[in-house]
Amino acid sequence: MSALGRDTAWRFFGALVVVFMMTPLVLVVLFSFGANPVTNFPMGGLTLDWYRRLFDLDYFRPAFTNSLIVAGAVGAASTVIGTMAAMGLKHLPPRQAGIALLLASLPVMLPALLIGIALLSFFVRVLDVPLGLHTVVLGHLVITQPFVVLIVQARLATMDEAAAQSARDLGATPFVAFLTVTLPMARTSIVGAALIAAAISLDDFIIAFFTIGSGNTLPTLVWGMVRTSLNPTINAIATILLVLTIGSTLVALHSSRYRG
Amino acid sequence: MNRRWLLLAPGAAVFGALFVVPLASFFAMSFWSVKAMRVQPDFTLMNYAKAFARYGDMGARTLAIAFAVGLATTAVAFGFAYVIRFKAGRLGPLLLFMTLVTLFGGYLVKIYSWKSILGTEGILNSALLALGVVDEPLTIFIYNPGAVVVTLVHFLLPLAVLPIHGSMRNIEDITIDAARDLGARPHEVFLGIVLPQCRFGLLVAFALSFLIAAGDYVTPRFVGGPYTSMVGDFIEQQFSLRFDWPMGSAMSFSILAASALAIAAAAYLTRRR
Repeated sequence: MSALGRDTAWRFFGALVVVFMMTPLVLVVLFSFGANPVTNFPMGGLTLDWYRRLFDLDYFRPAFTNSLIVAGAVGAASTVIGTMAAMGLKHLPPRQAGIALLLASLPVMLPALLIGIALLSFFVRVLDVPLGLHTVVLGHLVITQPFVVLIVQARLATMDEAAAQSARDLGATPFVAFLTVTLPMARTSIVGAALIAAAISLDDFIIAFFTIGSGNTLPTLVWGMVRTSLNPTINAIATILLVLTIGSTLVALHSSRYRG
Repeated sequence: MNRRWLLLAPGAAVFGALFVVPLASFFAMSFWSVKAMRVQPDFTLMNYAKAFARYGDMGARTLAIAFAVGLATTAVAFGFAYVIRFKAGRLGPLLLFMTLVTLFGGYLVKIYSWKSILGTEGILNSALLALGVVDEPLTIFIYNPGAVVVTLVHFLLPLAVLPIHGSMRNIEDITIDAARDLGARPHEVFLGIVLPQCRFGLLVAFALSFLIAAGDYVTPRFVGGPYTSMVGDFIEQQFSLRFDWPMGSAMSFSILAASALAIAAAAYLTRRR
């Protein structure tokens, strides 16, 4: 094959992958506005009916609120804890810091099912605490914290130490130096990390399912709806979920200027 | 008291109290027994014996599907990362951005969407009917292992692209130019420079997709049909329906150990010689 033909073939492959990645998501959004009650073509005109019906369901609002509460709490808590950890790692010898980072990422590598049921049996059998939104928040901390540590740590690693050091030399306490120098410099990455944590929390179905007890978040509501019926209000709720998670990821990528 | 330990303490507490301890106590539970519908502490290997004797087939099917998913995801992700780095030119960052955007959202949405695409009355079938390719809807797209593999590859692809892209980004243009100037042919550059440099990223991508596929239960439940039940399905049922938690625990750690072995084997077989 000529070099030109090879390049064209690669680009064609790239285009195919893009279509493969995007089509399922685009279809869900598209059909959430389609008048036809069957998720298929022809769509039969545009409508906002499914959204109207969704907002009328009495179990939609509590699930929506729950998801926002959990995501907010997870975003805030994991950002504070993760940023502290990233600061602490900076003071460790590189080898130890590397090992700590690798260990910290373990929860992300395991199937969520394993973490969900281990937490369920821990909360119920060992601690004997009632399940609820607080246990979902704790569960989500486990899987979001690694991302926060990695993102903030990456930013701190590229930061110039001199500025914080001069603040210290001029008599600032470590905490004041952090607040006035390090935090403003790393702010965008920290905000980005918080939003990524919120997106992961909003999107998680499995850990929420096992640790919530009764009640719903948006994903557990989708699960319940898909199992009982197939109707386009599911497309509407799925679209809302996508807008929330992809929206916060977009803002996060923009704010942290993370490019892979 | 040293300040760095104070900074690390909350994170370490979350890691220890909400990850290590629950996982360890859950592991201990795999040696417990169930008598008269009650879970009680014990030290028995019965659960593991049962896991292998009765559910060995399911385990083998799960590992086979996870292997197929790991291989396919890694291959497609490698191709895509290659396009991003070497072939897409100025579009590369945009493609990477798209990958990142779909990374943290839409787990259930993606699976649900594949169900409406692949179903007997789904979008794929109606497209084929409209184009006159078939006369009646085909049932071969859904409720089989293939549907599970396609859906999981789609879900895991962004996750696999990132580590491969990470190692590919470290390949310097100058290395490749030097190889070319010294007369290396395109496939020699590819096999001699690109592929070896990506080994770590490829392994991470394979390990992540293998493990997550091996532990998934939502995908087989949605698109797998009655004959593609995977270990994750079975484990989830021990917690939602049957309340045989020790059995669920033994199955979890059996499949985890088998997956770890498979990943270690992949790392060993692709080692630098």
